[in-house]
Amino acid sequence: MYSSVVRFQNAFSFFTTVAFVVAALIASTDLLTPRTPSVGVLKPTNVQVVRGRPHYYSSKKEEYAIIKFSLDADLSSLFTWNTKQLFVYVTAEWPSAGGSGSGQNASNQAVIWDSIITSPSADHLANLGPIALKKLKRSAQGKSIDPSRGKLSIKNQRPKYQITHPSGKVAEQEDVVLRLHYNVQPWVGFLTWNQDVDFWRWKTLRNNLSKKFTLPSIKKKDETKKAGA
Amino acid sequence: MLSSLQNPRQVAAQLMNFGLILSTAFMMWKGLSIMTDSPSPIVVVLSGSMEPAFQRGDLLMLWNRNLFSETNVGEIVVYNVKGKDIPIVHRVVRKFGAGPDAKLLTKGDNNAADDTELYARGQDYLNRKDIVGSVVGYMPFVGYVTIMLSEHPWLKTVMLGIMGLVVVLQRE
Repeated sequence: MYSSVVRFQNAFSFFTTVAFVVAALIASTDLLTPRTPSVGVLKPTNVQVVRGRPHYYSSKKEEYAIIKFSLDADLSSLFTWNTKQLFVYVTAEWPSAGGSGSGQNASNQAVIWDSIITSPSADHLANLGPIALKKLKRSAQGKSIDPSRGKLSIKNQRPKYQITHPSGKVAEQEDVVLRLHYNVQPWVGFLTWNQDVDFWRWKTLRNNLSKKFTLPSIKKKDETKKAGA
Repeated sequence: MLSSLQNPRQVAAQLMNFGLILSTAFMMWKGLSIMTDSPSPIVVVLSGSMEPAFQRGDLLMLWNRNLFSETNVGEIVVYNVKGKDIPIVHRVVRKFGAGPDAKLLTKGDNNAADDTELYARGQDYLNRKDIVGSVVGYMPFVGYVTIMLSEHPWLKTVMLGIMGLVVVLQRE
């Protein structure tokens, strides 16, 4: 009855129980922290449509759009002790030819820009070069939570990803909007996205849609050259 | 030692107990599978393509029902590619169309390029049916045991050996 095996089993099961209870408690503290993210500005600043190969591995030429944008947002309330990183992304959304309107029911959605904002406690995991990593670590020295990293102020940002469409056509597309989203990824617990309705202490991300705009027609090759020269 | 061999009733009881533990575990796994509508409701991260959020050995809880909305851009999904049996955990970055025929494109947060290269030959997009589930919960490190066991097969032998030894040496 009281062999060493039984003792070991009891100790191990007690350890796992305690570990899971502590993890559950930590995860539940997310709910207690108010979330009040806000967006100041989200607008496209320069939109181009080009015909070509959007990637080096593209097999065929197609139209793709390059949307530069400006963004001003305060997501600092999303950083708590259980936040490992915040994934911020901007999507472009537009209705399909015979489809429903833009916005939540948009049937075409593509990420044009994203960013990983690590919490200082997760800085050592960031995929950066040694110099950038050192700089990042120094920026929050002595702090385990740094809400100021959630303050975004980006002007005329080049998109990370060009927009394409399976049909190969995006030029002169109407009713395109930009939308800001975020994803909070915890050290332990549930992943959360910006929610559509207020949820107790978590407020929705208001004003995260840009005005509707229309993609221009295709830019001619020689025109691009002139612009470059 | 080997006292249990002399008492068939005790052997039978032990076998029953062992079978009960196995079937309980199996029932819980399948129950979770039905609840989440996913063939594998809990997965272990195998690659570093979603770092720094998910490292190798972390445990992910999946959910495969579209109760309130469709699987959308920004969700982290686990999907299978035809002809490859390793499930991949990546984020949906593009979605064209709606419903079961919507075309989805995924990308790992830590990767520079999207997943077009990972898909099957001639496949440019995923469909909803390729997706095993969306990640809703996260637990660090717990799944590392399974990675250890699959990468160092001799550990399995050692573990089985220890278990066998314990069973033989155990006195009731």
